Amino acid sequence: MRISKKWLQQYLDVSDLSAQEIADCITDAGLEVEGLEAMSSGTNLMIGEVETCVDHPDSDHLHICQVNFGDKTEQIICGAPNVRAGIKVIAALPGAKLPGGEIQAGNIRGLESNGMICSLAELGVDPKQLRDDQKNGIEILPADAPIGDRDPLAYLGLDDVVLDVSLTPNRNDCMAGWAMAVETGAVLNRSVKLPNCEGAANEGSATRLKVSSTTKKCPLFLGKVINHVTIKESPKWMKELLAASGIKSINNVVDISNIVMLETGQPLHFYDVKAIPAQEITVKDQLECTYTALDGIEYTIEKDDLIITSEGKPIGIAGIMGGDDSKIEADTAGIIIEAASFHHVNIRNTSRRLNLSTDASIRYQKGIEPLAAYKAMDRAVALLKEYANADGLEATVQYGDDAYTPVEITVSPSRINRLLGTDIAVSEMVEVCRRLQLQPSMQGEDIHVVIPSVRQDLLIEADIAEEIIRIIGYDRLPSTMPLMPATVGALNERQQMRRRIRSLFTGFGLYDMITYTLASQKQVDDAIMGLTPVVELASPMSEDRKYVRGSILPSLLDSVAYNQNRSVKELACFEMSSVYAKGIEEEHLAIVLCDTLQKSQWQNIVIPADFYTLKGIIKTMLAQFGFEGTRVIVKPNTVDVEHFHPNKSACIYIGKDLLGIFGDIHPMMAKRYNVSSAVMAELNMEVLLKNRASKVKFAPISKYPSVTRDLALVVKTETASADIIDTIRKSGKRMVTDVEVFDVYTGEHVAQGSKSIALRVTFQSDDKTLTDKEINEVYEKLLNALKQELQAELR
Amino acid sequence: MEKLTMLREEGLAKIEACADLASLQQLRVLYLGKKGPIQEVMGMMKDLSKEERPAFGQQVNEMKSLLSKAIDDRRALLEAKEMNEKLEQEKIDITLDGYQPKVATMHPLNLVQQEIEDLFIGLGYTVAEGPEVELDFYNFERANIPKDHPARDMQDTFYINAEELLRTHSTAIQMRQLEKFSPQLPIKVICPGKVYRRDDDDATHSHQFTQVEGLVVGENITMSDLKGTLEFMARKMFGEKRVIRFRPSYFQFTEPSVEVDVSCHICGGKGCGVCKGTGWIEILGAGMVHPNVLKMAGYDSSKCSGFAFGAGIERIAMLKYGIDDIRHFYTNDQRFLKTFTRFE
Repeated sequence: MRISKKWLQQYLDVSDLSAQEIADCITDAGLEVEGLEAMSSGTNLMIGEVETCVDHPDSDHLHICQVNFGDKTEQIICGAPNVRAGIKVIAALPGAKLPGGEIQAGNIRGLESNGMICSLAELGVDPKQLRDDQKNGIEILPADAPIGDRDPLAYLGLDDVVLDVSLTPNRNDCMAGWAMAVETGAVLNRSVKLPNCEGAANEGSATRLKVSSTTKKCPLFLGKVINHVTIKESPKWMKELLAASGIKSINNVVDISNIVMLETGQPLHFYDVKAIPAQEITVKDQLECTYTALDGIEYTIEKDDLIITSEGKPIGIAGIMGGDDSKIEADTAGIIIEAASFHHVNIRNTSRRLNLSTDASIRYQKGIEPLAAYKAMDRAVALLKEYANADGLEATVQYGDDAYTPVEITVSPSRINRLLGTDIAVSEMVEVCRRLQLQPSMQGEDIHVVIPSVRQDLLIEADIAEEIIRIIGYDRLPSTMPLMPATVGALNERQQMRRRIRSLFTGFGLYDMITYTLASQKQVDDAIMGLTPVVELASPMSEDRKYVRGSILPSLLDSVAYNQNRSVKELACFEMSSVYAKGIEEEHLAIVLCDTLQKSQWQNIVIPADFYTLKGIIKTMLAQFGFEGTRVIVKPNTVDVEHFHPNKSACIYIGKDLLGIFGDIHPMMAKRYNVSSAVMAELNMEVLLKNRASKVKFAPISKYPSVTRDLALVVKTETASADIIDTIRKSGKRMVTDVEVFDVYTGEHVAQGSKSIALRVTFQSDDKTLTDKEINEVYEKLLNALKQELQAELR
Repeated sequence: MEKLTMLREEGLAKIEACADLASLQQLRVLYLGKKGPIQEVMGMMKDLSKEERPAFGQQVNEMKSLLSKAIDDRRALLEAKEMNEKLEQEKIDITLDGYQPKVATMHPLNLVQQEIEDLFIGLGYTVAEGPEVELDFYNFERANIPKDHPARDMQDTFYINAEELLRTHSTAIQMRQLEKFSPQLPIKVICPGKVYRRDDDDATHSHQFTQVEGLVVGENITMSDLKGTLEFMARKMFGEKRVIRFRPSYFQFTEPSVEVDVSCHICGGKGCGVCKGTGWIEILGAGMVHPNVLKMAGYDSSKCSGFAFGAGIERIAMLKYGIDDIRHFYTNDQRFLKTFTRFE
């Protein structure tokens, strides 16, 4: 909403306040002024008369002007095409500050020039408000302009400042200048006087005009014929008000329709009476046609659009734009006034579809107060009589009704104070209600208020509480902490798990990442452990963001590729996020490791980003949550060999539940995602939350020494080390407490198809010191078992 | 006797002159062993009279212990010297860097979210979450935003079908919490989560972002309590000297509603580029829970009241760390992420 200081001044005295002061006050009360815009600007200006104007000898376009300012005459060189002797002009004298810079006395092609003769654009006037001749040349003032006047901007009525007010959706009533004035008066605590035109439209003789609607989307339609109007130039105040509101002045009648809209918020439409000979207007929908509106553009009208028709033919797009053939022109002698309500959703949809937004459609979309049509009709008639010699008025005809019932609320001052935590006196509350024109009266302890029709946002006590505190000022609100029974603040199991993983993994050198939830077709096709059926957006913004993802890895791989493209090679990362399918929500954990995880080359420390490192990280993480030993099962990957290397990946289970898949990325997948080799995992965290973790319990430490024996075995290449370890553990019974692989070797000295595995076995007993003999017995036993079960030979 | 004195002087001199542990050991064997000069002297004892023998024996023993002590002292000295030489040889270049474990960082959004969660957990709040694929019912209807309300503009919401959508605000979590607790009191929750709006991604807009909301409902919860709580939060997040101010605003699910500004943490309120010269930075929306919202969840709004507040985590992170482009959060450039080693 744009409202100028001068416009406000029509209704309340703000002459002692600067625009900035007004803006600060109404901003504090909740109507945020986003900017102040001077209609024009310039200092050290003066009105002068060009006495002589001769061509500059050294230029084909410059003129030497002698400008008379009353008490002095100055020479000014001017290049404007329309400068000539005998006109009154605005001159910026040396030292003048204009939007384009400061004016100085100078020398133009050898001749002294003591200032500049100005165009309005040079004085900061919006070019949209200017005629072509004004844009192209200096401003020529009326012949009676006062020579020597030091405030030409005021003389032109351009000494105004516009407040650009951003309205919250509940205060769209302030789209109407009158409502804005009432609000400003309440905030500043000043009395407001609005024009009183009530009943002006009651005048009128019998009429032929018929108005109706075939759709419920037009609940109210007022029409009125005025047979005689005089088209002429608008008075200065109207032109200024329109200019300040960014609307171009056309003629008095068209301007009145716009002025009334600005004042009341109700868009009006004036038809030339001769263009509607049937004197019948019907609002329709379900009409499919093309229609050329006032702007000369042909629009395609669909079934849901509201159309104003006469004799079945469109004469306007309801609430948005009228037609060319019924518009008000210089020869218009009589008019039909339309003041109607249209359903805001309809106007919004049509306006958006046609990509056509007008002052009227914006107001309809935001909703218009229920009585606006009557007020606007009254005001229009009053203005037309005053400024357009309106005569031959016919009675107003009405279709539908406003369905308005006044709202009255009884509020309790003590409850309001309790809600706010304040101690505001009842008298002060009453005073605020009075300032807001809520007609307060006391009913016992309570305050009774009557809500004006413009304030559709005030319905309940809490609304009144807000009015009171925002007008009094939030600086009056104390600062306290809630007084209530103690509550325990804590994270739940899931949240704790997330935090544990995050601190563990970042400690390992894995970066915590967040990627977009919305995914492309490709990302959905490449889902890993993905959920189905996939959730698709009804109307996506782009192909890249069409689906709600059911797996994290594809989007995480995109982030990996982004980093690799920027020479970040040693990248390790993870993401935890909810993923979705129709009716399903799961939390997943995805991990990607590239190149090297940790290293110190000269110390020969290198932790490669490979299958085994990833496996170790996952197992350490699981152990943190009490999942270890036989509960964690790693099996060959038979679930997804499309995205993973079929022979360098595995499925991991907690008991019987598939936790996830991890391993080397499939070369084809790596190519598709433009990543160099990587290992990756996608795990379903729900499995961890679903399964019970083992209890933490202390097991006594053996008092007896442990003995280690190393053995190097030669086994077939395909023999799993886990089977060797299992065999040793099983045959070693309770005496073997640990088995660790410390070397794996293939190559020279080991037969083709075989590998050498070196293990360190720890023997220990809980109840005695083991003798060599006892250890040897067990050792022999496990060697035999290895030989029989796995054909393992000692190397 | 003279021989003894001579032996002693000679021995002590040799021990004193001994330069390494091996020769010292030889001296020990020589003087204290079974075949050394002292044993030889001892052998002479049998030639002495019975009366002379004890004194002689005593002298020999004294001499033995004297030499033994001299050898021990010398050994300790030589050992210390040898140790020092060894340590000297083991000197390393301490300026060389070795294995420094690479520690990664938490995502700045998670960092800020955790910081906010923790400060409210300290006040007795629990952390509540909810689905991102949400029902229209919780996202809008329960939040007092009925069908056809301009706030539900199709432009802003990613709909999946008539009933389901991607939640547009974490208010949806609050609405589920109200329903879950109803009719129990009090409720004290903090609700963080990802939210989605139909926005074209640019430096200041993102179709996906993160919000955190707080909700307290109890028997006598006032708007002053809201102010005190948010002041506490602002000070924890932006420094003890911060003050806040309320400006009237509008949200469908609160009444009264306010925007909350915090005095600028960069300039302290004098006005700078970050606060656009105003001295204030808008960081929160808040208000008293709308009676309709309480009613829909099954609470009697005449018997309880509540406050709610919400903030954008991206915005807080951008302000705190001086991040200029919201897209950084979702690009995951490691060079960006590694900055956020801790919350400040």
